[in-house]
Amino acid sequence: MWAIETRNLRKVFRPLLGSNSIVAVDSLNLQVPTGTIFGFLGPNGAGKTTTIQILIGNVYPTAGEAFVLGHRAGALAAKRKLGFLPEKFQFHDFLTAEEFLRMHGRLAKMDGATLQRRIDEVLELVGLAERRTSKIREFSKGMQQRIGLAQAILHDPDLVILDEPTSALDPLGRRRVREVVQYLKEQGKTVFLNSHLLSEVERSCDQVAIINKGRVVVQGALDGLLENRSVVRVELKRVQPRVLEAAATVAQKVHSIDDRCFTAEVASEDDIPLLARAILESGGALLGLQPHRETLEDLFIQTVESEGK
Amino acid sequence: MGVIVALTIKEAMRRRAFLGTVIILVTLYGLSFLPRAFKEAFGGDERQFELGVNIAVLFGIDAIKFFSAVLAILLSAGAITAEIERGYLAAILPRPIYRWELYVGKWLGVMLFSAANATLWTGMLWVSVVLQGEPRVEMWRALPYVLLYPVLYGTLAFALSSFLSASLASMFTVALGAFAYFADHFLRPIAAFFDVRLLQQMIWLSEWALPMATLKRLVQRQVDTILPPGMGDRPRFGRPEELEFLNPSVQPFDIAYVGLYILTAAAVGIIIFWRRDVQ
Repeated sequence: MWAIETRNLRKVFRPLLGSNSIVAVDSLNLQVPTGTIFGFLGPNGAGKTTTIQILIGNVYPTAGEAFVLGHRAGALAAKRKLGFLPEKFQFHDFLTAEEFLRMHGRLAKMDGATLQRRIDEVLELVGLAERRTSKIREFSKGMQQRIGLAQAILHDPDLVILDEPTSALDPLGRRRVREVVQYLKEQGKTVFLNSHLLSEVERSCDQVAIINKGRVVVQGALDGLLENRSVVRVELKRVQPRVLEAAATVAQKVHSIDDRCFTAEVASEDDIPLLARAILESGGALLGLQPHRETLEDLFIQTVESEGK
Repeated sequence: MGVIVALTIKEAMRRRAFLGTVIILVTLYGLSFLPRAFKEAFGGDERQFELGVNIAVLFGIDAIKFFSAVLAILLSAGAITAEIERGYLAAILPRPIYRWELYVGKWLGVMLFSAANATLWTGMLWVSVVLQGEPRVEMWRALPYVLLYPVLYGTLAFALSSFLSASLASMFTVALGAFAYFADHFLRPIAAFFDVRLLQQMIWLSEWALPMATLKRLVQRQVDTILPPGMGDRPRFGRPEELEFLNPSVQPFDIAYVGLYILTAAAVGIIIFWRRDVQ
């Protein structure tokens, strides 16, 4: 069973006045395996937030289907097993951290004893145990994000959807969120992570999907997506067209950075000496050649740029 | 749903509504002592004093109707769309509750708070007239109908808030109330005596659009015994149908229509909130 599954999901926003419809999600097919940390990526306006809103039942799809833990998205049965940290939130800041969590626990239909135990656990987990009696209005933005994370995991959900969970956090706060996410994975939970901090996603996630213009462009295990690509950063005294042409005879893709640098994607590391020879034979004054493992950021930029063409 | 009701009441308490309530309480309490103050300052017999107390009570009831309705509009107009825009509902909606539960919970919270305030104000007014030796039990008889004012206006503002911003929802509610008031107080005598068909239709429409005049008559019937002489009486001239139009009598259907109106407005609000996208 998938933790999340969408089939040809489509959402069109039609304004009340005027005829300019906006297609936010377009035939989106997504499968998120249970027990994984899944990164959901895409440029601004790609349809990530709308997809998440459909999954939690806040937005109705125009067409297609979405399932959460085997239940139709938005159904109470799905919501019972779902935890959600919204990107834009405003908590009832006149409540203390403990009152706030108690309120959410009651909304999640938790019984009194379990709720008290879980409040203690999650406050400890997000590092706010000592501020349990402080009002939320006294919290910094980062602390508010952490109390938001606490409410998302309070009822021990099987699936946790985190929408930009680290956007307001300092490096220490980010590390704590990473630890919480890892802890959830160890507990067998599925974490669906939407973040623009690609280094965070790369560190935490097992699988990713990159969406653009409302469609899934790339989806799979992170190791699989990155392992087959070997990218070499080439530094020359001056990049000339004939050098790029020569490099392209060896490399699968050549990407010019500036007038001194370009990157070349080769099939394997064995091709790197061949690339160096081709550059030298074309008359390029080679200053440096640095192989580097492709990062998620590289994959993201290449995917989105190639989609844009 | 109880969690939502409690949260809504807590929210209402922390907004300046509570301060406003205290100010209104003190004002009502002070005003009700004016007849006594006038009597002591300028003299006058016991009948004039009783009349003064009655006028103070009637004015107090009008003030309670007005302020409780304003309070309900203020709290209701921002209940749904404004809370979505501010992000308050972002973490609550994914909880395993139906949207109608959230809507009804918030509605109940606002109505209970407004009704509690109106009851408190009535109690304060009653205590002040009792202290002057003039208990007026009519106030308590009128209270259930007075409480329908915040419920009526609050429910309307609540329904509008399911798709409009707080300012627009309150503006439309107040505009509808103003139309109903204007039609009942200013257009009705003109329409009755000059027999202007269009005006009569407008008044008829205004009562259907917002049964404020109906509610006014229901309250008035409870305080008939303390109305000053001449007040609320029909004029001594005019055709019976004109006089009936000018000062309609209470019909058994009136309270049912008010109830039906409130239920319909609440149902419309729930359906809109249920069907709309929230983001």
